[in-house]
Amino acid sequence: MADLLVKDLKLRLGDNEILKSVSLSVTPGQVVALLGPSGSGKTTLLRAIAGLEVPHGGSISIGESVFFDAARGIELPAEQRGLGLVFQSYALWPHRTVFDNVAYGLKLRKTPAAEIKTRVEKTLAQIGLGHLAARYPHQLSGGQQQRVAIARALVYEPPVLLLDEPLSNLDAKLREEARAWLRTLIVTLGLSAIHVTHDQVEAMAIADRIILLDAGVVTQEGAPTALYNEPGTLFTAEFMGSNNRLDGKLVEISGGRASMEVFGERITGMARTKAAAGSNATGIIRIERVRCASSAGPNRLKMELKAPMYLGERWELVFAREHLTVRAYASSPLKPGEHYVEFPAEALWVF
Amino acid sequence: MPIAIYRFVVLGITTLAVVAPLSLVVYQSFLTAPFFDHSARLSLSAYSFVFAESDFWQAFWTTLAICIGMTAIAVPLGALLAFLMVRTDVPGRRYLEPLILIPIFVSAVVIAFGYVVAVGPVGIFSTLAKDVLGFVPWNLYSLASLIAIAGLTHVPHVYLYSAAALRGLSTDLEEAARVSGANPFRVAINVSLPMIMPAILFAGVLVFFLGFELFGLPLVLGDPQDVLVLSTYLFKLTNKLGVPSYQLMAVVVVVIIAVTAPLVFLQRLLLRQAQRYVSVRGKGLKTQPLRLHGWRWFAFAAIVFWLFVTVAVPLFGITLRSFVVTWGEGVKLSEVLTLDHYRELIDYPNVVRGILNTLGIGVIGGAAAVACYTAIALAVHRWNSGWTRLVDYMVMVPRAMPGLVAGLALLWVFLFVPFMSPLRSTMFSIWLAYSIVWLAYGMRLISGTLLQVAPELEEAARVSGANDLRVKRDVTIPLIKYGMLASWLLIFLIFVREYSTGIYLLGPGTEVIGSLLVSLWGTGAIDLVSALSVVNVVMIGAGLAVAVRLGVRLHG
Repeated sequence: MADLLVKDLKLRLGDNEILKSVSLSVTPGQVVALLGPSGSGKTTLLRAIAGLEVPHGGSISIGESVFFDAARGIELPAEQRGLGLVFQSYALWPHRTVFDNVAYGLKLRKTPAAEIKTRVEKTLAQIGLGHLAARYPHQLSGGQQQRVAIARALVYEPPVLLLDEPLSNLDAKLREEARAWLRTLIVTLGLSAIHVTHDQVEAMAIADRIILLDAGVVTQEGAPTALYNEPGTLFTAEFMGSNNRLDGKLVEISGGRASMEVFGERITGMARTKAAAGSNATGIIRIERVRCASSAGPNRLKMELKAPMYLGERWELVFAREHLTVRAYASSPLKPGEHYVEFPAEALWVF
Repeated sequence: MPIAIYRFVVLGITTLAVVAPLSLVVYQSFLTAPFFDHSARLSLSAYSFVFAESDFWQAFWTTLAICIGMTAIAVPLGALLAFLMVRTDVPGRRYLEPLILIPIFVSAVVIAFGYVVAVGPVGIFSTLAKDVLGFVPWNLYSLASLIAIAGLTHVPHVYLYSAAALRGLSTDLEEAARVSGANPFRVAINVSLPMIMPAILFAGVLVFFLGFELFGLPLVLGDPQDVLVLSTYLFKLTNKLGVPSYQLMAVVVVVIIAVTAPLVFLQRLLLRQAQRYVSVRGKGLKTQPLRLHGWRWFAFAAIVFWLFVTVAVPLFGITLRSFVVTWGEGVKLSEVLTLDHYRELIDYPNVVRGILNTLGIGVIGGAAAVACYTAIALAVHRWNSGWTRLVDYMVMVPRAMPGLVAGLALLWVFLFVPFMSPLRSTMFSIWLAYSIVWLAYGMRLISGTLLQVAPELEEAARVSGANDLRVKRDVTIPLIKYGMLASWLLIFLIFVREYSTGIYLLGPGTEVIGSLLVSLWGTGAIDLVSALSVVNVVMIGAGLAVAVRLGVRLHG
């Protein structure tokens, strides 16, 4: 099996440029998460790969088989691409039983009836719903419907499984279980998958690689750890994790470090900008990397503790000084009043 | 691409079926003689002849007066009725609702016959009034009566659209007015009805438009007074000059369409606007109806009185008339009761054929029409192309042709196209005319059903490997099956009721109850007409009962 390749894909709906030259590749056995805020074009991209939206530029292919190529005027209809797609709403056919829902793709491929039976039963067993084959979709719970939708998409062994926010219709607790289940299933069966989501935690948990989309452009892609720990852009840094944002004036950049001035103090972090001194800069730091200190020192700001909040396993502290608000975690509550808040240089990115 | 072939074949057939009759009429209107006459030349003489006729102008202004009068009656009453039924605690609403819709489903000629035998000069109620009062306090054969009856029988049309809009309206606005001190009547006038103004406006244009299409009522009630409207004028023209005056008829048809086509277009614009208003609906809680207190039974009595005048009087009249030998002053009911009229029906082979044909056109023809409407709707379903607009307009065109006009146009098509003429004297011609006349209605039913199919269900099949046609077969059609069945039932009701479309196509082999009633009425066979009317009403009643039992929404 070959890589799924998407090159310079451009797509517009009406006057709206949804995708502006998007490229990506999925190697066999890899799970890729398409991550981005709503309106970033991630679902449109998935639907374009499936053949449900028509781009106006670029190409989509798996090895020798070209799904779409604007330059050569090739557009393979969705039904001839042989991909599996799991819809956000599951889209199970209400007039068919679970068995018939799953069997449909095989029936279209003119598989002999006996083989259809064994393969559907095997797939239903894999997703743990072997005993519900005769039920209709409306007789299943949300979680079960989701599994049937997945079984329907993978029964004919598509080269790539496309998942459009498959977990978003489940309630919070079920979602975490389903996430673990889905990751295990994909890894056990050795599937390639593209998983669309707007939830960064879900993306990191489920994917080998994350492609972060913003306004129809790939802003960064890489392993989940790389995106989380080494954001290349302000958007990536802010989108992943929970963050604090410091606004200040850039003082100097040297040796990969950048210093900015905030409230007259010099705050140094990892340089992520090439701007000249004196221009505006933004510092981003994860909440969990902010430290509280009792005395003044480098990279520390004097701030006032406003509201300690108890979250169960830890405390969240909200510090403020004029328009600046900083959130931090602590294992025990601090007294309200003035404190020093430290921004460790290796954890602060200056854009 | 097989789907593209399918789409363009359907598009082509639809366009042909719609445009051919219309263009033949327009062409005919510019000729000096019938189109099959070799001496026919292109000219405007037919127009100048018709426009110089005082009868034509008389009919035109009468039509306009009826339209305005019936709109003025139907709109306020219909809107108020909707408010009472949807928003207040009038007793027995559940049982009143299907009764209110009866005037929509009963043939207008039957209602007209009913009025003649019930409150005509020697009608059942008239003789009763004369016995008691010494005189008859009403005169059925007057323009005023015609307008009043037309208005009252079109109240349900306004009711339907107003009620739908009211149901989509949040009730807290009304409750706020109530708390501020408004009584239920003021709530209706100041809050509820203004909020659904777009829907009421739409209903008003619809009723005005239906006024132009009136045929049965003016034919039966206007004739004795020589009150002609455009449709009855057209009908009379048939024999006016002794020779078939096709070019004159065509001119009248063109005039009718010139008025109705803009009205159809206006309705379309207004309907969109009305739906935009309705879309503010929330999935709100079950709301508490406004309490009318003392007015409750008064409102109930008003609705029942309206039902009595519009439904009970004519239907009771025609039913009673079908069971008596004769009626007039001094006749005792017990002496004249008979079942003979029903036995006589069997003696007329054309009547027997008419009854069977009517059942056939309703059941088989209805199914075939629903199949055609579905084929068209599926062709444009999820078709991302400008061609769908063409279909939208094509579907609207027959709406502008009243049944009588469409039947005439179809007759000409059958005469004009050589290979179609053998079909003229078969039920196919009737079926084609009915299906074209009710194209817009049927398409609305099917499209409404298709709208409820979520696109992902079809996309899921595409991705699984099914091509477009396969998706329609395996997913779309199974999902709209119940909607299609409901549409079949509604089309059955309409085809069984239809009377004007078949008039020009009436001949041996193409008899249907509706057109037979009109032609029998012309011969004065009142016994036969009343018995046949009752048969027609029973058929419709049975269809309605099935529809109500199955929970079919009686309005598309």
